[in-house]
Amino acid sequence: MWLEIALILIIFLGIIILGNNHLGSMIQLFALQSFFLSATPLLIHPGPHAIIMMIVTIILKVFLIPSLLFWAIRHVSIRREVQPLIGYGKTLILGGFLIGVSFLISSKLDLPLKETSNLLVPSAFSIVMIGFLLLVSRFKAITQVIGYLVMENGIFLFALLLLDKTPLLVEMGILLDIFVGALVMGIVINHINQEFGSASTINLTNLRD
Amino acid sequence: MEFFLLVVFPILMAVVVFLLQQEDFKKIILLLTSSVHLFVTIVLWKNPHDFQLNSFLGFDAASQLVLTFISILFFVVSIYLIGYLKEKKRGADKVFMVCLLCLLAGMTLVTMSRHMGLLWIAIASTTLLSAPLINHDRTPQSIEATWKYLLISSLGIALGLLGTLFLAISATPIKTIFLGDILNNAAFLSPSWLKLSVIFLLVGYGTKMGLAPMHTWKPDAYGEAPPPVGALMSGALTGCAFLAIFRVAQICFHAHLQEFVSPIFVLLGILSLGIAAIFILGQKDFHRMLGYSSVEHMGILVLGLGLGGTAIWASLFHLVNNAFAKGLIFLVAGNLYQNFRSKKVENIQAAVHKLPITGIFLIVGLLVITGFPPFGIFYSELLILKEAIMTQRYVLVFFYLLFLSVIFFGYAKIILGMALGKAPDNTARETQKETFFMIVPLVILIVILFFSGVLVPNSLYNLIDQATALLGER
Repeated sequence: MWLEIALILIIFLGIIILGNNHLGSMIQLFALQSFFLSATPLLIHPGPHAIIMMIVTIILKVFLIPSLLFWAIRHVSIRREVQPLIGYGKTLILGGFLIGVSFLISSKLDLPLKETSNLLVPSAFSIVMIGFLLLVSRFKAITQVIGYLVMENGIFLFALLLLDKTPLLVEMGILLDIFVGALVMGIVINHINQEFGSASTINLTNLRD
Repeated sequence: MEFFLLVVFPILMAVVVFLLQQEDFKKIILLLTSSVHLFVTIVLWKNPHDFQLNSFLGFDAASQLVLTFISILFFVVSIYLIGYLKEKKRGADKVFMVCLLCLLAGMTLVTMSRHMGLLWIAIASTTLLSAPLINHDRTPQSIEATWKYLLISSLGIALGLLGTLFLAISATPIKTIFLGDILNNAAFLSPSWLKLSVIFLLVGYGTKMGLAPMHTWKPDAYGEAPPPVGALMSGALTGCAFLAIFRVAQICFHAHLQEFVSPIFVLLGILSLGIAAIFILGQKDFHRMLGYSSVEHMGILVLGLGLGGTAIWASLFHLVNNAFAKGLIFLVAGNLYQNFRSKKVENIQAAVHKLPITGIFLIVGLLVITGFPPFGIFYSELLILKEAIMTQRYVLVFFYLLFLSVIFFGYAKIILGMALGKAPDNTARETQKETFFMIVPLVILIVILFFSGVLVPNSLYNLIDQATALLGER
């Protein structure tokens, strides 16, 4: 019951991020989504393993990564997505369509393991697809990073299916890699700002054949 | 002990470099670390090729093969860097050194991983550690290349993680994704989830390896990275990604999914060759051309895996020779860049007159990389061709030969133009001397290429034989 509520909130937040164009509130929405995400391990497999996962997720995804992203855009004056590749209305409709597709795919796949909730797999697919859509349809470097991170949140939901079988060491390694990834991306965004005067990847067109 | 010396020691040295102030001392540490790494790798050859350190870490023939050429290439590049970093005095050298040492640890961890999750972690860490290396020059172009590399690779790696999770779901009856357990119980894997997982893993690790159509970061990244970094990335890093693909192939072959995965390998391979052929022809930037050349050789590697039989042996042989050949040609490109201050083909003329030794190595590099006899790449490309003819795939044979000859033509035109050409009349700009550190790495690499391709020692033959046997063919 609580798990389903958390999953629905996570999908809702994904859709809201998709329809948003203000960089600051996008980062805050991502932090909120990660907060609900951090509660899910405890709702599925209560135990010490889940508690450690929850604490690490809250530290990395709710506090460190969002503050890192705010640091990366601290000098950016235009905090709005200027002109997305696909308009906001169309992106939202496409997002809704992709969520439908996710449910359709999930109903076709039969899991060889017992499910805690039949909402888990479709919501994982939905979040991965929403993140991917965000990544490919926007030009601001920071929005692309948020898209990547939302996608990773979806993969995290998938990993919950296997929570009792994955060694803790491996899970921690994966979370650490994602954090370092966000760190390196944040630093490069900073370089892009300094060099081009804006964090938009529209300027990155020098290299081509 | 092996784990400490091969993985922990470079990281410790990276910390030391981070804390140190003296510039020269850092280079000594870099050289020291790579020497220790190479020494331990050579000592490991005395052991049987198959041994486990613990459940997560261990070696088999394939990982030992990859580890060996990574270690040699890193050692050679660290000698080259002594001269290269002295030549350009910059504050960014500290980050560069730290990332370089950690990258060595990351690549070693890739070869040692015996758990598919740990393998993913190691591959992802090498991506993140190599991004700051590309951005060393901090020009607008290099920032652009770094961003594209980071974004495309991270996306690919994320898909790889999804594939690893699907693999774990398909391995529900086995309960773990330790490589050994999966291979021993491959018959129990759920086939539909395994197929889904293989597609995601191939796209993910294929992005890292730079197979078409996921290759788009490659010419940009190799074009803008400092040439020694290009040597490491196209030689060692792609080898790591190939090892990951090799693991996927291993699982597929053991689970009797060969009919499913082989056509995918062949398709990716021939597509990479085709893309490389189109873009190498008439390429204006020497470094970008080398990027497409890497796409070509990665294509040949997976093509060999897809054809099966002797082509798998050829593919592993190609892997070793490609690593050293790429190292050679990128370091030559580094010498040319330091002298001519340009990557554009039109600005580099008469290299043989201006830099006699580098010029000769440039022509030798052309022969090595296009697969001229007697070098190893000729032999492996021939074996792959033979396997394609034996299995009567004549359309494939046609395109394989067509693309290889177009690529040969493209290379020869560009490289011979740079090496020979007319010396410009205004010799006002003084040519630099070729220093000791610019030449010695080239000599070492050509000697190694001779032994890895022409006079192959028995131990290397045996190692490649054993690595081929890991796939369970023959």
